[in-house]
Amino acid sequence: MNKRLNRRDVLKLAGLLPIGLAAPRLLRMLNTPFLAQGLSKNVIVILFDAFSAYDISLYGYARQTTPNIDRLANRAIVYHNHFAGGNFTTPGTASLLTGVLPWTHRALNLNSQVAEPYIEKNIFSAFPDYYRIAYTHNGFANTFLRQFRGHLDELIPRESLYLQSYDSLISSLFNNDDDIASISWIRAMKVNEEGSAYSLFLSHLYESLEERKLENLKPRFPRGLPTVSLVNPYVLETAIDAIKRRLTQIPQPFLGYFHFMPPHHPYRTSHEFFNAFKGDGVRPLEKPVESLARRVVKGLPEQRTEYDEFILYCDREFGRLYNYLESSGLLENTWLVLTSDHGEMFERGISGHGSKVLYQPVVRIPLLIFEPGRQNRQDVYDDTSAVDVLPMLTHLTGQKAPHWTEGNILPPFAEPDLNRNLYTVQAIDNPQYAPLTQASTVLVKENYKLHYYFGYPELSNSDGEEVRLFDTKADPEELVDLSSSRKGIASELLNTLKNKLTEVNKPYL
Amino acid sequence: MAAFLAQRYSRQGLRSLFLTCAFPLHFWALLMAFRDISWVAERTNLWDGIGVLAYGVVFALVESIVIFLVVATLGLFTPVQWHSDRRVAFLGLLILLTSLWGMISQLLFIWNVFLPAPAVQFLRSSGHPFRILYGSCLAVVSSTILLPVYLFTRSKKSVPWMQDLMERLSLLTVFYLFFDFLGLLIVIIRNVN
Repeated sequence: MNKRLNRRDVLKLAGLLPIGLAAPRLLRMLNTPFLAQGLSKNVIVILFDAFSAYDISLYGYARQTTPNIDRLANRAIVYHNHFAGGNFTTPGTASLLTGVLPWTHRALNLNSQVAEPYIEKNIFSAFPDYYRIAYTHNGFANTFLRQFRGHLDELIPRESLYLQSYDSLISSLFNNDDDIASISWIRAMKVNEEGSAYSLFLSHLYESLEERKLENLKPRFPRGLPTVSLVNPYVLETAIDAIKRRLTQIPQPFLGYFHFMPPHHPYRTSHEFFNAFKGDGVRPLEKPVESLARRVVKGLPEQRTEYDEFILYCDREFGRLYNYLESSGLLENTWLVLTSDHGEMFERGISGHGSKVLYQPVVRIPLLIFEPGRQNRQDVYDDTSAVDVLPMLTHLTGQKAPHWTEGNILPPFAEPDLNRNLYTVQAIDNPQYAPLTQASTVLVKENYKLHYYFGYPELSNSDGEEVRLFDTKADPEELVDLSSSRKGIASELLNTLKNKLTEVNKPYL
Repeated sequence: MAAFLAQRYSRQGLRSLFLTCAFPLHFWALLMAFRDISWVAERTNLWDGIGVLAYGVVFALVESIVIFLVVATLGLFTPVQWHSDRRVAFLGLLILLTSLWGMISQLLFIWNVFLPAPAVQFLRSSGHPFRILYGSCLAVVSSTILLPVYLFTRSKKSVPWMQDLMERLSLLTVFYLFFDFLGLLIVIIRNVN
C-alpha cells in the first residue's frame, strides 16, 4: 500500500490528468439522459415577439390563425387573461426575465437596460445548476441577454441566425451598438425602402447586390423577406432548426430562452399563408379613434390581415418545433412555455405597439405551459402577469424561489390570489431613474381594468391626465368607459394605483 | 499602380479630387441625417440621435473613399496628353453633375413628386412602361451630364473656372472631414462602452 510511485507510474497518472480536468464537463455532456432522469426537468421558453392574444384563434379570434397551437393546447395549461409587463420589447421582455414590473427593473425606454441589481436577479441566475442557453432575433432583447451574460452558459449570437446578408456585417462590426448602427445603416443604404438614403451612389449598388444575394428566397416570401428593424433578413425556419439541433447537444437539465421576431412588423409571411385571409369577410369591430394616437393610421384591416397571416407562419414553426421535441423524447422531461413580450393593435387609428395606450390587444398576450406528460387541457381564467413566469418556473422545477420577484405561483399549482392587483406599465419617455411623471399604467382587478394616463400634454383638457375604466369581462373590447358611471370603483382603483406609484417612485425622489 | 497614378495626377490634384468627391456625399448625408436626429432622439435619447449622425458621416467618409478610387481610376482612361489639372477638373465636373442627379432623384421621392397622370396613362398604355421610363431618364441624365462635359473639353476657360470652384468646395469639405473625425470618435466611444 505504501509502495512509492515510480517514474513510470507518475507519467501514467499524469496522462490521466486532462481527463480528470475535463471529467465534470464531459459527464454533463455525455450522460445527459442519466442526469436528467429523476432530477430537475428542462425548461424551454419560446417567445414570439408582438404576439397578441387578441389575434389568436385559441383565445377566440374569428380567424383560424393558430391551428397547430390550438391542437397542441389540448395537452397544455392555457392562461386566458395573461398580461405583459409593458407594451413594447424593452419593458415587456425585462419583466418576463426579471420577474418584476417595469417601474422596478427600470428598463423603461427604448433599448434601455435593467437597473444594476437585476443583472444578478433574473431568470438565468435563478437556475444556477442548469445549462442556460439563450437566443433572440430582437436587438432590444439582446441588450438584456448581454447584461445577463454572466449567468448564461451560452448566448447564441443574434446575427448568427440571420440570413447571410451584407447587413449582418454591421451587427457584427458594431456589436456593442448594433441598434443605432443598424438604424444609421438603413438610412444610409436602404434607398428602396423610402426612396431616399444618406448615400448617393453606394446605396443603389448595395441594394442591387443585396437583392441578388437573396434572390432564391424571394419567391417564398411574396411581401419581401422578414427582417429585424428593416435590416437583417431572417427566416424563422433557420432559427428553429438551429435551436432544435442545439437542444440535443447541450447538457441537461437546461434552461432555454428563445425569443423569435415574428409576428413583429414587418408582417411578411411565407408564401403558403400569403392571402390566406384575404376577402374572408372578417371585419373587426369599429372603434373610436384614440385621442392619444400620434397620428391616425389608415388601412388597419389590411394590416391586421397581413399580421394574422404572419401568425400562421409562427404557428406552423411552433408546431414543427413541438413535434421535434416530442419525437426526440425531450418533451417528456421538459416544461415548455409559449408566450410573448407584448401584443399588437390595429384599432382606434393605431397600428402596432409603440403608442401610449394600453388596450387589451397590446397588453394581453398568450401563455401556454406544456407540462411533461400532460395529456389533457386545463384552462385558467384568472388574471396573470409576465412577472409570474419566473417564480412559476422555479416552483415547477423545484428551484429555490427567488425572493425578489413580484410575481405569483399560478393556478393550478397554487390557489388563485383573488385580491390581486395586476399592473402593466409604459413610460417610454420618462427618464429612466426618476419618478414616473409621464406614463401609461393599467391596473387589473377582478372584472375591472383601470387605465391611468398622466404627463401627456396632448390631454390638455385634463391637466395631462386621463382615467378610463372598463369591465373587461362584460366588455372585452373596451368600448364603454365606466369611469363616470362607476365613480366609486374608478376612484378606489385609482387610489390603489396612485399609492403604488408613490411607493415605486420613492427610491427616485 | 502608384507610379502609373503619379504620371496622371499631381499630389495636389489627387487631394483636390478627393475633396470634390467627398463634398456632395457629405453634404447630402448630413442633410439627411439632420432630418433624422429629432426622430431618433424622440424615440430614444439625444445621444442615440447623435449616434445616428456619427455613423452617417463615417459611412459617408467610406463612400467618399470608394467613389474617389473609382473616379481616379476612370481618369486613367482620359487622354494621356491632358495635363493633371485638366484631368482633375474634368473628373470633378463629372462627379458634381452625377451627384446633382443623385440628389434630384431622391428629392423627387422626398417631395412626393410623381409623374403627371397623363404621363402615367401613356406609360401604362405603351406596353413597355419600364423600358420607356428608364430610356427617357437615361436620355435626360446623360445629355445633362455629357453636354456640359463636352463643352468643358472645348473651352479654354473651363479648367481655371473649375479649379476655382473645386478650391472653394475643398475648404467646405475640410470642415466636413472634421465632422468625420468627430463622428469616428463618437462611434468608437459608443462601441467601447
